[in-house]
Amino acid sequence: MAQMGDNLVDQVAQLNAARNLVLGDAALYPQIVHGILPIIGAHSRLELRRWGSDFLAETFASPVLATAQKDVLAEKVLQTLREILELPEGDAAVLKSVVQASASLYPLVFRHVINHPAATAIWESMTAIKQNILQRWDNFPTAVKICCVKFVQRIIQVQTPGLISDPRRPEQNETSLAIVPRGHALLTIPNLEAESSGLLDRLLSVFQENSSDPLFVNATLNCLSVLIRTRQSISNKIISAILSFNPHKQVNGPMTPSLRVGLKSMERTTRSLLVNIMKRSPNHPLAGKMQQHIERMAQSRVEALDEISRKRTLPGETIDSLESAKRARMDAPTPPTVKIPPLPQGPISYSQLFTLTEDAGLSSFDVKQLPMDLIVRITVPVLARIDPSVFSQALEGIRNRYQTLSQQQAASRQPAAVEEEEDDYEPEYQPMDVSDLGPDQPDATKPEVDEFQPDIVSLGPFVLPQPPPLTEDEAGELGRSAATRVFSMLGAPDLSSQPGKAQQRPLGFSRLAGSTFDRDAWATLLTRLATRAPAGLEVDTGDTKTDRGLQKKPTVSDTVRETLYRYILEDFRSRLNLGISWLNEEWYNDRIQLRFAATQRGEEDSDEPSVPLHYDRWVVRLLDGILPYLDSRDLKVLVRFLSEIPEMTIPVAQRVASLAKDPERVNLCVQALLYLIMFRPPAREMCLNTLEDVYNTYEESRPVAGKILVKWRPAAVETQQSETPAETSQQ
Amino acid sequence: MAYDPRVAGSSTPDVLTSAPSESISTDSSLAMATESEKQQSVDGPASESFKLKFCTVCASNNNRSMEGHLKLSTVSFPVISFGTGSLVRLPGPTITQPNVYSFNTTSYNQMYEELQSKDERLYRNNGILNMLGRNRQLKWGPERFQDWVPGLPRLDHVAKGDKGALGTEGGVVDVIITCEERCWDAVVDDLMNKGSPLNRPVHVFNVDIKDNHEEASIGGRAILDLAMRLNEAATQERKANGSEGWENGAGEARRSFDEKVPEILAAWQEKWPHLPALWTLAWL
Repeated sequence: MAQMGDNLVDQVAQLNAARNLVLGDAALYPQIVHGILPIIGAHSRLELRRWGSDFLAETFASPVLATAQKDVLAEKVLQTLREILELPEGDAAVLKSVVQASASLYPLVFRHVINHPAATAIWESMTAIKQNILQRWDNFPTAVKICCVKFVQRIIQVQTPGLISDPRRPEQNETSLAIVPRGHALLTIPNLEAESSGLLDRLLSVFQENSSDPLFVNATLNCLSVLIRTRQSISNKIISAILSFNPHKQVNGPMTPSLRVGLKSMERTTRSLLVNIMKRSPNHPLAGKMQQHIERMAQSRVEALDEISRKRTLPGETIDSLESAKRARMDAPTPPTVKIPPLPQGPISYSQLFTLTEDAGLSSFDVKQLPMDLIVRITVPVLARIDPSVFSQALEGIRNRYQTLSQQQAASRQPAAVEEEEDDYEPEYQPMDVSDLGPDQPDATKPEVDEFQPDIVSLGPFVLPQPPPLTEDEAGELGRSAATRVFSMLGAPDLSSQPGKAQQRPLGFSRLAGSTFDRDAWATLLTRLATRAPAGLEVDTGDTKTDRGLQKKPTVSDTVRETLYRYILEDFRSRLNLGISWLNEEWYNDRIQLRFAATQRGEEDSDEPSVPLHYDRWVVRLLDGILPYLDSRDLKVLVRFLSEIPEMTIPVAQRVASLAKDPERVNLCVQALLYLIMFRPPAREMCLNTLEDVYNTYEESRPVAGKILVKWRPAAVETQQSETPAETSQQ
Repeated sequence: MAYDPRVAGSSTPDVLTSAPSESISTDSSLAMATESEKQQSVDGPASESFKLKFCTVCASNNNRSMEGHLKLSTVSFPVISFGTGSLVRLPGPTITQPNVYSFNTTSYNQMYEELQSKDERLYRNNGILNMLGRNRQLKWGPERFQDWVPGLPRLDHVAKGDKGALGTEGGVVDVIITCEERCWDAVVDDLMNKGSPLNRPVHVFNVDIKDNHEEASIGGRAILDLAMRLNEAATQERKANGSEGWENGAGEARRSFDEKVPEILAAWQEKWPHLPALWTLAWL
């Protein structure tokens, strides 16, 4: 036995010497690997197998050994690895190295098989190893399971389409499903992709399990970066899985120190991964969510654990922006009892009532100077870590102050009952007098108020008399006259000189609609007045509104619409702008109202929400108004109208088709439809139908329309042509 | 704290003179290999000599990581060390005039000589020369973590007689210990960027140490403590699964080293509450 032991020590020494040789000169690898394989195979002693599998894992991971050489070695090594793997004993150290080596070999073999579709044997070995590992994954010892995570990550990386960096030089491309040729003898793309998708689900399931083991969560997180970076098709899935994972949410049971280590490590590793992704692509569509997630996790850590850091400092980001005075106060050890300073004599302001600190600097600090979100970020953690006993002491102190104060006031009030009115009166005065002085010293006004009191008591508050209520008709009348006045602005001559000025100063993207006080601004105002102003007011009588004529009196908005309509028709070629922006507003308003109505819909009322829709009516009306005046050279006007209105409807298409009645305007009609067919895909089918109708109905249109239909809908032309001879023969 | 780091710095030569940098013959790699084998066998039988391989990391690979490097190599752990900063920065005459060197191309000796010629008194008094003096006994020069290619053989470091280089010939480590959260972030991020080509798991710890000589010295001992605990667990696992015992061990003994890491760190943290720790399992 001692002999055997010595023998073993010698053997290991020799093997180590050999390893040092190849580490020194990678060119020796093939020779050494071939020499070593028989010694470390499945039939050798455990120590040798351990050494050997370790060496093989190192060999195939080595950055100095060229891929081509690894490729040559792979087949033979695979056989040995497979035999070791299939041994019944399952030594953890050996298995660990075998799985590591397999992870390094998998992309290599995959690429080899892509280039050599006949390499059945090697692919079979690799697949056997893969199946063996995947089947035993759950039953492996932890150390091996961890390596399986990486093995599976490699399979997913290989069996998901990657980037083709240069299609002309396939050898430069990274190994992925994207370089597998279709119809490969061994590799069936859909099967491989399905397998990797299943494995990805299994890999990501670690984030859904309740008792997340930090080992596996961290091991998984740390290998996902490369998948997110280089595998577009699955990156969003991975990121959403990570975003749904919050280690602190899954804590149940007592917080042991090792649990705390695990939680912190999972949170920080998640953070590292998200930061890594965001650094690589700052414009990532999910960047906002990732940032939020990082903050949320930090927040839950503050809530859930970390008593250590409670004693140390607040989380870093909240403290940086604070003044040193504040920081000093938070860092100082919380006193066991809170000192409640007595209130000063005389009238007391609310801020004095609630101020507990005696620090003059702090109490005069105006919190309103800080932005809202910053305050929220400071306040929430601060509230979260306030010592409850201190908090209740402070509350009690304020309550006592308030109670004594109100008792005093009640006592001083009773002699003069008139003072009761002070309460009614004060709120009316405060906005005028006090707001300038700031909230800190409202008591400064008190003496003045006291001086005035006798007068006020005798005069009483002055209130403007309510105007007599307007009748509905009067209100409508006034609205209409206001609208008319706005319209008069459109025609005002001095405005026409304004645009010149406006052009001198380009407005940029941040402009607001209607902020320039030129004609366009008034136009915008009008269109919105017509569409948005009465939104929600007409809902009840909606059904009657939609059919014109039923109403007795037009509402303000309809008057505006009517006026706009006439105004545009007066010179539709130059005022088409206004028409289009009006119709857009109209359409937008309809959508918004519909959506609003949908959200307001209760469960019990089964009716469809009824909303007065204006767009459909007015687009047809405006088009009807324009069409009679269009002549055959107005193609541009018509095309512009049809392409810029927000929605094409069948009635609109029919109106356009009606142009074809006039032989002079057939071309106009067909060209307009052609434009829509080509450049307005959502309306394409509708326009093709219309064009087919035109083609079938109007003889004159056939030469032009036929050409288009041959291209877009050949079937229609063929049937027509096949029928035409029949018709002519009948005639 | 009665412990003076300058004493430690000046005492390093005594500790380390036993390292036989000239005894390693470089004429043939085979001879060297057997030589190193003898070196390892000094520590005990093959099953006993198993050691985790460590890597210490700080910002400039000068103070904290080198203190850890010293402590770990003194008990003959395989260890390498790195900095994550963009440049090596050492304190200068004022806070705005640091001495700046580039990683990988400047040796500790060069820095030592340059600073000695600049203002020996200043750099002696602020401990920089002592520190560099210690460092140049340990290895050639500061290395940058981001430039490290895991798996690239480091035989040259063994040949140069870097302390702790034995066992790191393969250019891989089992445990990385950083000395500042910023460095931990940089290491984890860089490992993600490297894309883990080796498929080899690595435990990455952070032990938060302030960047001064006193703290570095305390931190160095804490790092050594952590390393001992980890190595103990790893050796146990190895023994339990060894050829004699792999079927006998049960329960606790069968639990793997990796599983025990959170507990080890938690227990360690109880002992070193002033050095907040952090950990993850990443990939080389």
